[in-house]
Amino acid sequence: MSKDVLVIGGGIAGIQACLDLADQGIMVYLVERLPSIGGKMAQLDKTFPTNDCSICIMGPKLFEVERHPNTQLLTYAEVEAVNGAAGNFTVKVRKKARYVDEDKCTACGLCAEKCPVSVPDQFNMNMGTRSAIYKYFPQGIPSVYTIDDSACRIFQGKKCNICAKICEAKAVNYEQKDTVFELDVGAIIVATGFEVFDPSDIKPYGYGTIADVITAMEFERLLNASGPTGGHLERPSGLKIKAEIKQLEKQIKKTNARLKSLEKKSRGSTDETHKTLEDMNERLVVLKDKEASLEELRDIAFVQCVGSRDLRYNAHCCSFGCMHSVKEAVVATEHGSELRSTIFFTDMRAYGKDFHEYCLRGASEYGIQFVRGRVAEIGQGDDDRPVVWCEDMDIRKVEKHPFDLVVMATACVPSKGVENLSRMIGFDLDESGFVKTDPNKPANTSVKGIFVCGCAEGPMDIPSSVSMASAAASMAVQTVKGLG
Amino acid sequence: MSIQELIEKTKVSFCQDCGVCTGSCPVSRVLPGFSPQQMVGKFVLSADLGLEDEVLGEKDVWSCLTCGLCLQRCPSKVEYLEFVRAVREEAFKTGNKTTFAHNGVLETIAQMQTGGLAQNKTAWARQAGNIREKGEYYLFVGCLPYFDVIFREMGVSPLSPASHMIKLLNKLGIEPVVSDEERCCGHDMLWSGNVGLFKELASSNIELMKRLGCKKVIFGCPEGYLTFKTYYPLYFGELDFEAVHFYDLLAKQIKGGAFQPAPMEHTLTYHDPCRLGRMAGIYETPREIIASIPGIKFVEMERNREEAVCCGISCWANCSSYSRQIQMDRLKEAEATGADTLITACPKCNIHFTCALSSSDIAMEVKDLTHVIASVMDI
Repeated sequence: MSKDVLVIGGGIAGIQACLDLADQGIMVYLVERLPSIGGKMAQLDKTFPTNDCSICIMGPKLFEVERHPNTQLLTYAEVEAVNGAAGNFTVKVRKKARYVDEDKCTACGLCAEKCPVSVPDQFNMNMGTRSAIYKYFPQGIPSVYTIDDSACRIFQGKKCNICAKICEAKAVNYEQKDTVFELDVGAIIVATGFEVFDPSDIKPYGYGTIADVITAMEFERLLNASGPTGGHLERPSGLKIKAEIKQLEKQIKKTNARLKSLEKKSRGSTDETHKTLEDMNERLVVLKDKEASLEELRDIAFVQCVGSRDLRYNAHCCSFGCMHSVKEAVVATEHGSELRSTIFFTDMRAYGKDFHEYCLRGASEYGIQFVRGRVAEIGQGDDDRPVVWCEDMDIRKVEKHPFDLVVMATACVPSKGVENLSRMIGFDLDESGFVKTDPNKPANTSVKGIFVCGCAEGPMDIPSSVSMASAAASMAVQTVKGLG
Repeated sequence: MSIQELIEKTKVSFCQDCGVCTGSCPVSRVLPGFSPQQMVGKFVLSADLGLEDEVLGEKDVWSCLTCGLCLQRCPSKVEYLEFVRAVREEAFKTGNKTTFAHNGVLETIAQMQTGGLAQNKTAWARQAGNIREKGEYYLFVGCLPYFDVIFREMGVSPLSPASHMIKLLNKLGIEPVVSDEERCCGHDMLWSGNVGLFKELASSNIELMKRLGCKKVIFGCPEGYLTFKTYYPLYFGELDFEAVHFYDLLAKQIKGGAFQPAPMEHTLTYHDPCRLGRMAGIYETPREIIASIPGIKFVEMERNREEAVCCGISCWANCSSYSRQIQMDRLKEAEATGADTLITACPKCNIHFTCALSSSDIAMEVKDLTHVIASVMDI
């Protein structure tokens, strides 16, 4: 009989469950798949309905999990097998090699600064880049760097060694291996969260083909001060132009250097190189003109129920989409008072405490336009601006509206790992793929001793995730103390 | 069927009142006031209030193109096309009928075919190639001989694809049966509420196939194909022959190396007919056939495959200014691709776009896919 508890998933739900248990004197293991705990909430800019800074609420909790005497944090780790029954579970965990010694790394960041590799930044929803040795996000816990072996030159068989050389703490270790170990626990809390629905499945919305049609999570990163634009609200199409200019300038510099060396050696013809250089310079002028003509972002559309309440994709409501769109419209207006936001909704589901008032304030103080009608399609108009087609259900009129940016409230879908976990442990999933629970005991799964909280159970907002986490922690305590 | 039954059967009570259908509807964009969503709303309400006769008498019952774009996008999976079809059947019974274009000549032709009419439909076929009296394969020519007479003046030749089909089939060693006794497939009657006439035509055709011993019926026309494949079994149960679309057959043969198209230097774009695409699910084989022509540059329109827009009219009914608007928008979309030719795979789409093009300043050609592919084959 073990009195310890395992929490799977280090988002806000898992973190809260972990802290509640630890505070009651229970030893908790927290397993997180990514290099840092924090989950989706860490990616959000603000929270509704108070406009509080998300990471400011979360930061102290992240620290607490790390420094609490009753917690053991296992990041960059995954559960591989679960055996046994309530009171006596044996869990096999694989901790992936970071190629950085967690005990030695001081997170000074010198390695990332010097790393020659640049890949899309996952935390910033692939807008902006990071190096191959990276910290998942600035406030990430544990505060250590990780080498992405799918990007690092060393693991591609190329010569490099820069990060190892520059690291003063001698923390980089390319030879590090995965470690697999077993944990004995009495109860398990599943807090694996959710995934953002991929809207490229919905062809008429043009996500992936129209640059300025983005998901709400991408917009959160665009709003955020630690995001790819440093919090300056810019069009993704503008960012693309800037990135292309930067790359082209780099290429031109390289080609110039090559040309010089060719001319010095005076070997062979340089005509072709001259021609390439000319072409590149021409393209640069075009791009710079485009950059100069970029205007401030003024009109934003929020499209609700993207992949939600839709029998073709997900029948369930995402439960937080209405509110986060109002919040994002409010916060966007705080970035630029000239900004106009329009929310195209099916029904405004502002059901929580202070939610409806928040919507009203959004309309009266921030000038948000609310249009009842689900968006039919998003096309591309003049200057490649997105054009939204929608029937305004109040006046029964089909209209098209051009916007600078379209933000989609994407569905909340089960995390990829939860199906595997359900097979491993044997708990049931509901028809949407979330963990099935007993309506009278919402933290209980179909397996005794296994509990669930947060979006692993179904779509829910932050306050609900936190309270469900406390509920799951309380049920787990009953199990390990042999009370239930 | 009572309105209540009709609502339940086609799941219109699942409607979330979200407006995606109306926002998507090509008619709603050009005909203010027409709304698929409101049609659904009205029928649901009428069943509650006992106002069935009033809604069945509405003109809007006939404004829908039955193109299925709303169905494609409906988050509640309301079976809108089946709903419209059922509503039209009931409306027709109450005397609310559609207005046929071309002075109703095509409806009259369909009607005439129910009697003991002796047609001379096959003279051209004997000139085109080898055909048989009986056999495994039947080539369903449908209305093409009639279209050829009616629309020849417009500069289209609806029969030429049929002749090409016979030549191409001969080349594959298939000598299809073509019969004078073949009737109209009944598509237009089915979709304009005249289900009685549809059934008469359909049963004659089914009887004919049985008599001729045909096991595979080949179609060049999407409407005939869909009607045989989906709606004959719906009304008459399982059939003892299979409906095959010519493009599925041809694409397979081209892939297998049976044909080597000669090069042709053109930039082409392709319009998906509603019956062939959204309703029969054939999107790729016409594209494969186009791609097999060396030298062709193929470009897609912004709205393609499942998202394609209707050619503006269905069942030869309700041709009006809004049809023209829809056609012009589609032609402009085709022009914007930079293509010099718009390829269609339906004789009606071909006629409608050719008609719209003639009164516009768009410098493009509209051509039938069979016609194009035959022009680069050694036949």
